[in-house]
Amino acid sequence: MALQAAIGDFLSKDAGRPIVIERLQKFPAGFSWITYGVKLRGHPRADDMILRIGPPYGLFAPYSAMPEFQSLSALEGSGVPVPRAFAASDDHSILGAPFFFCERVAGDTPLPWGGGDGAMNDARRESLAADFIDSLAALHNFDWRRTELEQWDPSITVDNAADRQLDFWWERFQRWALRAHPMAHRTFAWLRRNKPRAPRVTLVHGDYRLGNFLEQDQRISAILDWELVHLGDPTEDLGWAFLPQYRGGTRMVCALADEDAFLTRYQDKVGYKIDRAALHFYIVFSLLKLALTHMAAARCFEDGLFNDMRMPAMATQIGPVFRQIAKIMERSS
Amino acid sequence: MNNSLPRLIDGMIATLRREVLPNLEGEFARGQAIGIIYMLNSIQRRASWSNRFFQEQLIAFSKASKELQAMAGELPGAPLPGVTNIPDLPDEGALEARRNAGDEQLCHMIDWLAERRDSLPAGVVAQVETILDNYLNRQLKWDIETSAKPMFTEISRGRED
Repeated sequence: MALQAAIGDFLSKDAGRPIVIERLQKFPAGFSWITYGVKLRGHPRADDMILRIGPPYGLFAPYSAMPEFQSLSALEGSGVPVPRAFAASDDHSILGAPFFFCERVAGDTPLPWGGGDGAMNDARRESLAADFIDSLAALHNFDWRRTELEQWDPSITVDNAADRQLDFWWERFQRWALRAHPMAHRTFAWLRRNKPRAPRVTLVHGDYRLGNFLEQDQRISAILDWELVHLGDPTEDLGWAFLPQYRGGTRMVCALADEDAFLTRYQDKVGYKIDRAALHFYIVFSLLKLALTHMAAARCFEDGLFNDMRMPAMATQIGPVFRQIAKIMERSS
Repeated sequence: MNNSLPRLIDGMIATLRREVLPNLEGEFARGQAIGIIYMLNSIQRRASWSNRFFQEQLIAFSKASKELQAMAGELPGAPLPGVTNIPDLPDEGALEARRNAGDEQLCHMIDWLAERRDSLPAGVVAQVETILDNYLNRQLKWDIETSAKPMFTEISRGRED
């Protein structure tokens, strides 16, 4: 009830009129940000919102709401389907942690590990594939330079984009690892040696995959979970989407399109050809990021920040993901 | 603890699966229970009662044996227990610390090689990398061989069928 009252106070001040919170519903999904559905009355822009709060014990804590809020705001009206962003703050005194409010978009989330999606018929799959690829291309065509996103990293270039991300994840590796991991060092060394030049610097979603979009009537109604959004090499998003973990038991990228069809359509939309060596680099990098995320889960659980059993379960996958990396590097040497 | 560790874990899993899960309300709660089953399965493949637990029992036995042996002259024909030599086994914490220290040394070696690979003969670099890769592959293979079958689908759906 304290949270509900605090939400009412904040939204009333923000809207300049009294807002009544009718219902607050916590969604069970997610390891990182806590998501609530907020039914409200009196707000000029919506009577149903999503509230996302980044708790101090979350997987990627400490959080800032600004990257997600600013990117959703900048992308409103672009070709990328995103929820409209309403308000955000990193001020802990308001709701106890960074937070943002956005539109509640209708739709369901097909999950890569949820089972049952093998039954996806061709018409549905092809429609979702087209939206999935086109939305990614639209994101990578988006002109971020004329928005506030330019301030995120004014000195990023096509030459240092890969290094920026390697530095970012190396720092997190140092923070999260509970013990020494020679395989992570071996992979970082390989990535530093093989880093590609970006075809352009774009807005990168950072977690673009099956499970992070909403589907309604066989169309993608919104791309979700922008917490890892940053400026970088667009091939990074392809590498992540191409991971075997998100193929839903099929051979297709995100259980939606085969690799060649995916690349053909994407290349046509962005207007340049994907460098296969760069894609290979970003698939290896994505696997490493996945292993590091599992380390974050191990760290979260070990530090006693929370007892969600999904955390140690995720942590058991560090070895299998490293084994995948070893096999890929073996094949490419 | 008078049951074997594997049987205890089997019993816990069976109880959770047959008696607790069917009576739990809510997908998230059932997913957490399945997460516990998965972690118990994982623990079962690697765990045993600790050396320290048995060593303390052996030390006690050894002390009693020695004291009884000292009374042998007063106990003709008695089935006196033999004095057991207690093996000087490191405990699990010490083994883990040695494994971690070894891995840390290899991390330094990998970083050193990455910085100097251009100034070393290619054949030497390749040989070192083969040694490192063989080590890493052996470790990863062992990690996977001693891991339980993942249950992520079941955890996220909150049911095992």
